[in-house]
Amino acid sequence: MKPIVFELFANLERLAGTKECRIDADGGVATIGDALGLLAQAHPELAGSLERCACVSGDTIVRRADPVPADGRIALLPPVAGG
Amino acid sequence: MNRIVLSHEPVAVEPLLELDAHPECGGLALFVGTVRDHHEGRSVRHLKYTAHEPLATKVIREVERTTRERYGVPYVRIVHRLGDLSIGDIAIVCVVRAPHRAEAFEACRHAVDAVKHGAPIWKEEFYADGSSVFVEGCCIRDDLDEHATASHRHHSHASHG
Repeated sequence: MKPIVFELFANLERLAGTKECRIDADGGVATIGDALGLLAQAHPELAGSLERCACVSGDTIVRRADPVPADGRIALLPPVAGG
Repeated sequence: MNRIVLSHEPVAVEPLLELDAHPECGGLALFVGTVRDHHEGRSVRHLKYTAHEPLATKVIREVERTTRERYGVPYVRIVHRLGDLSIGDIAIVCVVRAPHRAEAFEACRHAVDAVKHGAPIWKEEFYADGSSVFVEGCCIRDDLDEHATASHRHHSHASHG
């Protein structure tokens, strides 16, 4: 099965020490919420920050209950502070 | 409507004013956010803005559009700077042209607040001792309440490094 690639931004990138995390998903991963569960197991350093992250596919915010995007890419956006 | 809203280069204010257009407008409100040399008691040396550019572009264009509609003003223009900035550099510019001053002021304030709270842009501050912190911000999840208690909204995500 195609891996799921999480793109990390800001503090998440710092915590993980990388811009991307690749997770090998099995058939049990249907939703973004499922995928986040696997990510938290594989990268416990990120687990505490995931609750307040928005998930984005392309240029659109997607929800935990949505299916994993067809391209397998999910951007994780921690709380924002522009301006 | 493909004007840039994110800039990796220094932002020039003058071209954003469109003073040669909008003859029906008698009010121009301008907000310019600049880099401050302190934050919560710490001396800031410089900072870095990063963004999720596809969504940030979409959000800022949407803020421009909804601000025009909500306040009935013909021109709203926002540019946010990205990259490494020094003290005093321009971080954000918001220009509103309106028939009268009241709606110009109100629309300008609304647009800047909406960008700060909704656009996926992050500010990393660098301090005198060489450490840096991502400034604590606003959660932009739209399905948080279904899964979490309100207290989660207020957890700090800042870390020192």
